[in-house]
Amino acid sequence: MREKKPKRLSSLLFLIIACGLCWSTAASAQFHAKYTEWPSYAADLAGTRYRPLDQINATNFSDLEIAWRIKTDNFGDRPEYKLEGTPLMVNGVLYATAGSRRAVIALDPATGELLWIHGEHEGKRGAAAPRQLSGRGLAYWSGGREERIFYVTPGFRLICLDAKTGVRIPSFGDNGEVDLKLNDDQDIFPDLITGEIGIQSAPVVAKDIVIIGAAFREGMTPKSMRNNKGYVRGFDVRTGKRLWIFHTIPKKGEFGYDTWERGSAEYTGNTGVWTQITVDEQLGLVYLPVESPTSDFYGGHRPGNNLFGESLVCVDLKTGERKWHFQLVHHPLWDMDISSAPILADITVDGKPLKAVAQPTKQGFLYVFDRVTGKPVWPIPERPVEVGNVPGEWYSHTQPIPTKPVAYSRNGVLIDDLIDFTPALRERAKEIASKYHLGPVFTPPTVSKLEGPLGTLTMGTASGGTNWPGGSYDPETHNVYVYACNSCIEPVGLVPAPKEVSDIAYIAGTAGREVEILHGPGENAGADSPRPPRKPAGGGFARMDVDGLPLVKPPYGTITAINLDKGEFVWQIAHGETPDVVRNSAILMGMNIPRTGQTTYNIGTLVTKTLVVAGEGNITTTADHPRGAMLRAYDKMTGKEVGAVYMPAPQTGSPMTYVVNGKQYIVVAVSGGPYSGEYIAYTLPSTGE
Amino acid sequence: MTTVKLTYPSAILVVAAIATPLCLLRAQAPASSDSRSVWDGVYTEEQAKRGEPIYHKECAACHGDMLTGGESAPPLTGGAFLANWNGLTMGDLFDRIRKTMPQSAPGRLTRQQDADILAFMLSVNKFPAGKTELYRQSEMLKEIRFEAEKPAPKK
Repeated sequence: MREKKPKRLSSLLFLIIACGLCWSTAASAQFHAKYTEWPSYAADLAGTRYRPLDQINATNFSDLEIAWRIKTDNFGDRPEYKLEGTPLMVNGVLYATAGSRRAVIALDPATGELLWIHGEHEGKRGAAAPRQLSGRGLAYWSGGREERIFYVTPGFRLICLDAKTGVRIPSFGDNGEVDLKLNDDQDIFPDLITGEIGIQSAPVVAKDIVIIGAAFREGMTPKSMRNNKGYVRGFDVRTGKRLWIFHTIPKKGEFGYDTWERGSAEYTGNTGVWTQITVDEQLGLVYLPVESPTSDFYGGHRPGNNLFGESLVCVDLKTGERKWHFQLVHHPLWDMDISSAPILADITVDGKPLKAVAQPTKQGFLYVFDRVTGKPVWPIPERPVEVGNVPGEWYSHTQPIPTKPVAYSRNGVLIDDLIDFTPALRERAKEIASKYHLGPVFTPPTVSKLEGPLGTLTMGTASGGTNWPGGSYDPETHNVYVYACNSCIEPVGLVPAPKEVSDIAYIAGTAGREVEILHGPGENAGADSPRPPRKPAGGGFARMDVDGLPLVKPPYGTITAINLDKGEFVWQIAHGETPDVVRNSAILMGMNIPRTGQTTYNIGTLVTKTLVVAGEGNITTTADHPRGAMLRAYDKMTGKEVGAVYMPAPQTGSPMTYVVNGKQYIVVAVSGGPYSGEYIAYTLPSTGE
Repeated sequence: MTTVKLTYPSAILVVAAIATPLCLLRAQAPASSDSRSVWDGVYTEEQAKRGEPIYHKECAACHGDMLTGGESAPPLTGGAFLANWNGLTMGDLFDRIRKTMPQSAPGRLTRQQDADILAFMLSVNKFPAGKTELYRQSEMLKEIRFEAEKPAPKK
């Protein structure tokens, strides 16, 4: 195949912002300047997604109209149907990643006019990237007059742009870039072009240091127990020089190395930080949410607890040295990556002020620690858990389970969780469930057998609970607001891997389905390179629905407000319109079913002075609106819905807000199904102008 | 008086902004109520059987053996899938596949292969098979409505 020579730079300067800088200063006396902007991915480095703005409020939310919109189809060589970004708005300019090229765009935040665009053409290296498409965002830094934008390309290069022009800053790294596949305390194999490592989350900049983690392909059926490792590094924002590195899998002689028995730290990979990193600049501490080690559901080749897999690790901002850590899951077997930004909260517990960090998770526990010491705010005792019998597997006999707050979403599947609209539906669901092993959180995977079990029916593993969008935190009420999928079931069975597919003893699969290697140009060429497909060969097929209805009972998706002073729920609601399949079901006709929420795992929340705002993840067609999804607003004190506005496609990136020219805007990324990616900005009608 | 003059044009803009997506949806709606839907036997069993191995080779790695989706790809069966395409046409679904799938090399499959995969997807979703094969041209497929719910029998 002919290899295209990568173009170094294809930056187009459409318009230099001439008078734009005066906008934000004029932004208004009524808003505190600090809160009119959205300068980092999660609004601030504490991961709060909070802005105390109240021009858009309960009385007018439903009046919102579209101020501007921008399709991302042309920011790449093909449209993108999974736009996950959250833009930034700083100093009168909105910045976002967009399109299948992962271009960076700068827009007028009041009109959506394109100010500049920057794209990196990476050729084969980009095509081989494990995490493609537009990613989740970028980072902004300002040092006096100079303003910089940082982002990571799909091919894993850190790019530094002049925020005013979109042109690379030559003095940073090598002509504006740092090759992240180099200088990583490991040789990325097999080579720099195809070597599997990348990232889709936004970089974090704190105190003149830009911090970058790492991501890989999905790890259910990896080809090998060996993989590249996901270390975390800090770089100088001015020069691109590497300042520190943290080994998420300890090297020989480092703390935690002995938690990888039989020398497995040497060859095991992954264990990256693929989601958002949080920083306390005052304390000079960085909070790293670490993912699973190689092979999500089988750990027989990595006996031991496997630090710092699925741990929250606190490191020094200046040096990267570990201050404390807490492993949420010992010897990970459930793909319970710590999947979202840790949330920093200054709370009051038993009358005493406490600097806390709260971590939402796939398993629906909100783990809360003293962020200085790492000590749990409420006890997290080790509890006995089921030990499985997969040949060669190593099991932890206990897992840490928080006493407070209680789980905010389902994290296991028991008979009582199954659909119960009618006794007949419950019976049908029991029949389906009978083919699987059931149990509470931390019930281990089983070997898949035709005679049963086909696997373990899990919830809160790969895609349940809270995933990458994470939660929001309100410093006024000390409440965390967090979406959770309460019905994302994951059947996890293991099958022996044929030697030609993988050198791992067991990979995810279902009995009765032949495992085969995928041939062809699709190999190693997509955002998430295809896993070996499995041919049906009779048996082993069980649908996870009952006449199209979800196997478990509602609520299917929730938003929970959790007060961190007390560790207790303030409210919990079903988020999202009842799915069409339930609302229109002939079986359920005449039954009064309260709103159920929806089965989706990628909903981010925004909290303002008065509202919690979140869009729907599924399309519905109702009497009130045509085929589409709603952006909903809830009273943050009570959870009562106070308004909703129509979106043409589901929310796929988390909403953000800002004020410009005295007007508040809410921007959200939508996409999916037939609808390619689009950022939509909502604002209130300008009556009387 | 001033207020009236100024609010009138902005009111038009408001109406236009709200009405635009509705107009788009209308434009996608069938021209005639007599046109066919996925409930009218728009593919054959044989075609679905042809599509099955192609699906497993080209699509299952991300969308799952059972079409239930994965971490990076949406399900192609079940309530959310049906709701997502409800009210659109088979042409819309076909075009989405033609333009973007398989993700590693969009457009690599032939129209016939894409149509066969679609036939397999229809069979998994329990839409009835018929006597004629699914078209392989998107303009013709746009005449087939995707309806999640089975329409009431005609009197």
